[in-house]
Amino acid sequence: MENIEKQVREEARKLLSEKKVDALVGYEQGTLPYQAAPCIITEPEEADRLVWNPFCSVNLAKYVHDLIFQHRQSQTRTKPEDRTKKVVGIVARGCTTRSIVIHLQERQYERDEVVIIGVPCTGYIAKRKLFRALDGAEPLSCVVEGDTLKVESAAGSKSIPIKEILSDSCLTCRYNNPVISDINVGEPAPPMNPDGEYDDVDAFENLPTDERWAYFTKEMDKCIRCYACRNTCPSCYCKVCFVEQSQPRWVGVSVDESDTQVFQIMRIFHQAGRCVDCGSCVEVCPMGVDLRKFLKKLDKDGFDLFEHRAGESLEDPPPLGAFSTYDKEDFIFEP
Amino acid sequence: MTENKANENWEPKIVAFVCNWCTYAGADLAGISRIQYPPNVRLIRLPCSGRVNPFYVVKALQEGADGVLVSGCHPGECHYLTGNLSARRKFAILKRFLSYIGIEADRTMFTWVSASEGEKFANVIKGVTERVKALGPATKMIKTL
Repeated sequence: MENIEKQVREEARKLLSEKKVDALVGYEQGTLPYQAAPCIITEPEEADRLVWNPFCSVNLAKYVHDLIFQHRQSQTRTKPEDRTKKVVGIVARGCTTRSIVIHLQERQYERDEVVIIGVPCTGYIAKRKLFRALDGAEPLSCVVEGDTLKVESAAGSKSIPIKEILSDSCLTCRYNNPVISDINVGEPAPPMNPDGEYDDVDAFENLPTDERWAYFTKEMDKCIRCYACRNTCPSCYCKVCFVEQSQPRWVGVSVDESDTQVFQIMRIFHQAGRCVDCGSCVEVCPMGVDLRKFLKKLDKDGFDLFEHRAGESLEDPPPLGAFSTYDKEDFIFEP
Repeated sequence: MTENKANENWEPKIVAFVCNWCTYAGADLAGISRIQYPPNVRLIRLPCSGRVNPFYVVKALQEGADGVLVSGCHPGECHYLTGNLSARRKFAILKRFLSYIGIEADRTMFTWVSASEGEKFANVIKGVTERVKALGPATKMIKTL
């Protein structure tokens, strides 16, 4: 782990001092001991700010998209021949590289605008699980020692096996090594348990309709519509999101439950074939809505119907952006 | 919602998004051939089934439709060549997803009716109306405010 961190810093410093990238997106130590925050560095001296530990949770691909788009926006009044490219470096684990693949497939930026430092990943710690393991006590310091996390909290010190508090997405991760990268760091990570990927979805599918609806409404009732899930999601990059459109007004802004349900249904549906299961939305949700259960269903159907896994390779187009004459149509109603 | 299944006079409201070139013409044919079908369906004509934003379906359900039908040209016969093929992918996922979260599968129906299938159009509307009637009035995801 420390070795990877050292190599990441080294590679970042090299990229910045050789001017191969204009900015580099990575993680830095957050303000709380159990947090790693995204950071953007532009000078080689800043490379020492970068960290790599199991607290690095959110998907950074969103920042690459934002930086490149801000830059393009700032050049709208520049003559086309004078426009410059901004190259962004990124510290990326498996899911982050898959998000980058999706951006590239959707022509958001060119391959030469991003330099990927691929990092093998052994999963990140879900903060909710950490707090549950501590019975809600606030961690004052966290130290990673091999496979365990030593936590000092107001309730005393405790050692927690990291495997127990890993995010659900990480436990069944299929791509814990980068799918594309320019620079590789560290040794490939051992595989997780992708066979159990859809266990949750399968169990949920077998429930009666009304129980499923009851669970869905119970989860969506928690949602306060802060849109944190949308803001952190690398696949949610529309300039104007449908929730903010007023002509037509797709989603009402009232406190009516149905408005929240419709917002969530549509946001989740927009991830069809595009959700890389990075778990960022679940991680940032302040209310702990179980979004993964619903997002994973789209992932499962995407594979079931179109044999597509989001962001697996640059050649495989997103399923809803393509079609085939031989697609399954068992759902078509024949009287 | 004052409507319930016990109300004998309850008739379902079904919104149908139909494509201009096939299903709408099919409905026309059913009309000029004097084929009878239930009056529960409200047709909305769109250029192509590929024009149907999945949001239309969700929105119709939210605004109180008891059932939603989307119908276009048969695959391979699209006026815009491939509109219905990309629609088919969208709706395959949408239908599965809506029934996954607990909205009855029969409330969202997808079918193909060509311009020459007046008879089939009437049968589709009969079939959909029967199925939605069997489910009773929609109670889920309805906007009340």
